Parts: sequence; structure tokens; C-alpha cells
Amino acid sequence: MQAKWKAALIWLVLAVAGFYLINELIVVGVINAFIENMLVTIGINIILATGLNLIIGFSGQFSLGHAGFMAIGAYATAIITQQISNTLGFYLSLGVGMVIAMLVAVVIGIPTLRLRGDYLAIATMGAAEIIRVVINNLKITNGAAGMYNIPALANWPTVYVFVCLTTLMIVNFARSRAGRAIQAIREDEIAAEAVGINPTKWKLAAFVMGAATAAIGGSLHAVYIQTIAPSDFGIMQSISLLIIVVLGGVGSITGTFVAAIVLGVLDTALQQFGALRMVIYALALILIMVFKPSGLLGRYEVSIKGLLERKGGHHGTTDSHEVE
Amino acid sequence: MALLTVTKLSKQFGGLDAVADVDMHVDAGELVALIGPNGAGKTTLFNLLTGVTPATSGKVTLTTASGKVALLGKRPSDIAKLGLARTFQNIRLFSKLSVRDNLQAAMTHRYHENFFAEILRLPAYYKKEALVGGWTDALLREFDLTAVADLDAGNLPYGTQRRVEIARAAATAPRIIFLDEPAAGMNPEETAGLRELIEKLRTDFQLTVVLIEHDMSLVMNLAERIYVLDHGKMIAEGTPAQIQKDPAVIAAYLGGGVHA
Repeated sequence: MQAKWKAALIWLVLAVAGFYLINELIVVGVINAFIENMLVTIGINIILATGLNLIIGFSGQFSLGHAGFMAIGAYATAIITQQISNTLGFYLSLGVGMVIAMLVAVVIGIPTLRLRGDYLAIATMGAAEIIRVVINNLKITNGAAGMYNIPALANWPTVYVFVCLTTLMIVNFARSRAGRAIQAIREDEIAAEAVGINPTKWKLAAFVMGAATAAIGGSLHAVYIQTIAPSDFGIMQSISLLIIVVLGGVGSITGTFVAAIVLGVLDTALQQFGALRMVIYALALILIMVFKPSGLLGRYEVSIKGLLERKGGHHGTTDSHEVE
Repeated sequence: MALLTVTKLSKQFGGLDAVADVDMHVDAGELVALIGPNGAGKTTLFNLLTGVTPATSGKVTLTTASGKVALLGKRPSDIAKLGLARTFQNIRLFSKLSVRDNLQAAMTHRYHENFFAEILRLPAYYKKEALVGGWTDALLREFDLTAVADLDAGNLPYGTQRRVEIARAAATAPRIIFLDEPAAGMNPEETAGLRELIEKLRTDFQLTVVLIEHDMSLVMNLAERIYVLDHGKMIAEGTPAQIQKDPAVIAAYLGGGVHA
């Protein structure tokens, strides 16, 4: 019980300290606009990839449709903030985007989550493509030209807070009754059914939850980049999120953080290499996969509570993980 | 009183009658064994009863506190909730989860946790987790698994994995437990341990046990009643002493034309 609260407090202190550190570095001038842009991109990628990791890593459903849900969030925000261009409008659009994304996830999930492995990947990819094509042809979304002049309603602190919130939400979900059910399905669906777990229900729950976080990421993307087009949410976007999940370690939220940061920094650092950039980037991916096939961190999670318990020498009986 | 009644249950795979017109019943508190040569349809029968494979025809009725319930056509997860738990011939553990999580994953239908209490870690969440933690600790002690509680189930020795699987079935709070060849691949010492464990399921957990097993000494010592299945048909039923003398059973095991 003691370790639980102590760990929560330490995570809170770390989160606040991180915030002030970035803030100070910006004031001092160490972090310029260029680096700040990198940090925000990393933050948005973390939000998107942790949601995808819940679907792929925890419930074991290989989804390639994450960009579709991201598009829903982004367009909800772009359209609503045209009418109400203030912070209130942004948070309203964020909620609307989440709700629509969750509804769409239910509609897509019920038929497709019966499929397994690569079949599911193709079906979800198709579903995301349908979302993109619909957006491409609607008047309200301004078709293929996309939407621009979206008001700048999010800066790095907004993204930072949302990274903390969505991570907390997903980690808590994964370390509860729901999380045990979806992980059991990942391990062995037949055995999970035999112990009273309804696979359809729980797979759908994880899928819908992942879709909601993707919509949050999309909304933040829209108000930060300020210009969106349907082509931003194609299969390549889904794959780049998948790369973050696989590289960090399927089923490790800490790994998703590490991979998003490593790839974000790598991407920025390589910009001076021009045409060689993608070659080096791809080479780095191949090398990591060859030498760390289960991702940078495998299934490892940072756990302050675990550290406290090990130091204190007494063993708790509750779950030993608590991230951020 | 019959807890589980099976009437004219059949399953055809293409032209093959894997299970044909099987009648059987299991009374509350009984230990029933199901034996038969390889390929007789024993595991298929288990799969039909627990809903893993849909039956072609027939009826399966479970007597519950609120009356009789027909089991055929229900999802396996709903059948499990009604109190039918099972183990698998080729162990199916959640290998990358700890033993503790394996047991807790089998308890999800025994309590409800509010979504917002979960993600916001409200007091209700901790109350529920403490409750489930208590159930788990008790089970771990009962099955002598406390020492390995935090290890991944897939890394345990074979005999221990069998024990975890039985403990996981018991974690669903069942009324009937179906054990599919629990002694397969065990050494004599482990088999002796298994025998104690099955006794424990009956005495401490008040469970009805249905057992598929090839280890005849185990079957003859434990079972009160035995069903014999051959080529999908129920060829004999009776006490161990009756079954040992039954000419049809001897013919099925040793081949026809044996005159005892």
C-alpha cells in the first residue's frame, strides 16, 4: 500500500520536473523552435503509438488501420475549430473526434476482429483506406486539397499533458481486469474462452480504446501542424506508428516511449543528410531488428514501485508495474 | 441427481462419426472417468460439452440453481460462466503471463470492475483488486504454487504447468471440472501428486470431476464410474470392477475375438 502511493508520487514529481526542465531549456535557449517542433512530434507519436501498442501488444490484434482513426480526430478538430476557433472549440472537437472514432471502431471491429493475424491487418488497412477515401470526397473536409489555416490551439505544454494523460489511461487499463482479459486472449484465445472470457467483447474494448487515443493524437496533430490533407493519413502513417511499436517492443509501453524518442531524434538529426536520410534511417531500423528482434525493450516496463519494493526488501502482492 | 445430462449427442466431421449418439450423465460430486483407445472421440466429446466445437445434433443439459439450462449453441465463455471448467490435452497456458496473472485472468467473470474506476484508479478499483488478490493467494497456497507465482507460466516444468492449468480451471469457480489426460507425460512421482490434487478438488473445492485418462491405475483407483468410448460410440458404463470384466471393453482395447 505504501509503495503504491510513493510510486505514484514519484511519477507525478518526475512528470512535473520534466515539464519544468523543458520549460527552462526553452527560456535559456537550449531548445530552439526546431527542437521544440521535434519534441511535439515525438509527443504526438507517443500518444498514437501507445494506443496502437494496446491493440497490438496487449490484445494481440495486428491492426494496420491506426491512421484512419487519427484522421477522424484531426478532421473533427479542423472542421469544428473553423466555427469555434478558441480553446473551448478545440476541447469540444477533441471529444467529438473521440466519440466518432470510437463509434467507427465498433462498426469496423465487430466484423474484422474475428479475423486473425495477417487477415486482420489487411482488413483494418482496408477500413482505414475507406475512411481516407470518404474524407477525400466530402465537401465538408474540403476533399483532396485538405484543410488549412487551422487555428494554433495547441503548444508543447498541451501535448505534454496529453501524453501523460493518455499513457496513464492506457497503463491503468492494461493493469486491471480488462488488461488481464485482453492479454489472456493474446496468449491463447481458446483457453481464454474456456475460462469465461468473451474474446469478441474484450478485443473490441481494446480496439475502441486504441481508436480513442488515436483520435486524440489526430486532434493535436491538426491544431499543431495547422494544415491537414487526406494523404497525411495513408498506409505509410499507420506503418510508421507500427514501426514505433515493434521497435520499442510489442507489449512494452516504456519501449514505445523509447522508440518514439529514438526515431524522432534520429529523424531530426538526419535531416542535414538530404537524400541519404531515408537510407540511413532504414539501415538503423534493420540493424535494431537484427540485433534486438524483440524490440529495444522487449516486454520490459519501468516500475518505480518495483524499485521501491526491491529496495525496501518487502514484497507486495498487487501488480508490480506502474508507469507514469 | 444428475448435474449434467447428455442425450444422443453426435458430431460428424465430414463423413466421420467422431461422436455418435452418446448418452451419459454426471451426478453432483461424482468422479467420472472417460476412457477409450486413441481416436475414440474422448477429447471431441469434451470439446462438444465445453462449446469449443459445435455439435451436429443432440442435447446437453446442466442443472443449475435456477433450473435446467441447455448448453449446446452457447459460446464457450458462457458455458464457462455457467460452471464448466476444463484443462487441455496439450497444455494451453497463457505462457507469457505470470502464474498469478493466469489465475486472475480466469476470474474476470466473477467480479465487475467499473471502467472509470479502472483507468482513474478510484478506491473501488483497489477494493476489487484486493478481493481478487485474496482469492488468488488462497488458490496459490492450495495448489502449492506460491513460490512460482511471479514466474512466466511458459517457463515452468511440465508437471508444474499441468498443476497451474488445473488451478486456473479451479479459479473460474466451476461446478464441474473436465480434465483431459492430466497425467500424460508425468513421471510416477508427479502422477501420485496429481492423484492427491484430484482428491483435493473433490473434497476441498466440492467439485464434480470428469476425467479422460490413459493411466489405468489412476483411473481404476480414483473413478467411481467409468464410461468407455470406442469409435465415437459409448460401449460400456459401470464401476471400475464391472468395466475390467466387460467383454466389449476388452475387445476394444485388445482387438476382437478375445475370449476371456
